[in-house]
Order: sequence, then C-alpha cells, then structure tokens
Amino acid sequence: MRIEDHPILGKAERGKRITLNVDGEAVAAFEGENIAAALIASGRRVFRYTAKRMEPRGVFCASGRCTDCVMIVDGQPDVRTCVTPARDSMVIQTQVSRREGEATHDLEKEKD
Amino acid sequence: MKNDDLVICRCEEVTQADIKEVISQGVTRMNEVKRLTRAGMGLCQGKTCGRLVTGILARETNQPLQELKPPTSRPPTRVLPLGILSRTTQDDD
Repeated sequence: MRIEDHPILGKAERGKRITLNVDGEAVAAFEGENIAAALIASGRRVFRYTAKRMEPRGVFCASGRCTDCVMIVDGQPDVRTCVTPARDSMVIQTQVSRREGEATHDLEKEKD
Repeated sequence: MKNDDLVICRCEEVTQADIKEVISQGVTRMNEVKRLTRAGMGLCQGKTCGRLVTGILARETNQPLQELKPPTSRPPTRVLPLGILSRTTQDDD
C-alpha cells in the first residue's frame, strides 16, 4: 500500500518504475523512494533477523535512527533501508546478524 | 516483575531484566550499565534505548534523572564503512 494523496504533503511524485531484486525475487519500486517503502508496499515485513534470538525485525523508527531496518544492499551489510533511495536492479538481501565469527551472514548461507 | 522481558536495547537485544540484573549487583552509572549489558553499543549507538536505560537506572537506584551522566560518546556518531575513513587519511597525507 502506498499513500497517493497525503493530507499535508499533497499528491505523491513518483520516479520512474524500476525493479529491485529482493532475496532473488523481483519487487516493483519507484526510483528514488526509499527501499523500505518499496518492500512494505510489496507486502514484506521482515527485513532482517537478530543476532541473539534470531527474531524478525523490520521498519521501527522509519527515520534512519534505530537501524532496525538494515539489510544487505548490493553486497554491503547494515544499510538503513528506510533512508536509502531505491535504484534500478539493486540487489537486496535479508540480513542475518550473528555475534560470533563474521559479523554478518546472508540468509542463504545461514540455511546451508 | 512486569515487563521485564521487554527488549530495551533493540540493537543488542538487551531486556529490562538484563539491565535490572546488573543494577542489582551494585551498578549506579550509565557507563557501567553499558559496559556490562552492551545496551547502547549496537548499530544505533543508543539513540533508541538511551533514554529508556537512563529511566530504568534512575528508578531502580533512586537517583534523580538529571544527575545521571550519559555514557561516554565517541566519534563517529553513525555507522561508517572503514573505507571512508581510510580515504580521508590518504587525502590528508
């Protein structure tokens, strides 16, 4: 779901239509909107899993402070998706953080 | 104990019970709570939990909130890839 007509901000100005690669799936987005907006609009709620309890996390503060929405973007971990503009063909992965060993693993490696 | 399983520090997954536990062992300062529990040492550097931890410490130790010093802050204030810092050093040379 996207807000098309905001009571204060007015009508949404959209960038051109682009496609993100999210965990191997194509997700439609508008260029320049933040990655998190595109993911929420596509129905995704889980952006990462926590290190200690492996609990799902997603958007919390939505303003770039809390770092709950971080994902692996084009290979770089800990990218705050709520303040990072979407670009065409970005490769985005669910992030699984872990305490011991490497700081970050991608989900596919974790499953093996 | 009500709400003790609440996650206070979301980055490091520290619960209210974890914080109360170290306070029960005699901790009275924010720096001590931080170093013992890791609350505030994660990616967001305490932006989310700092006030909550301060509140718990003040309440549990009967200290006035305004007298509790925040834990030591050190730069950088947000997460940076190390490459950015190394480039800066090269430019200065």
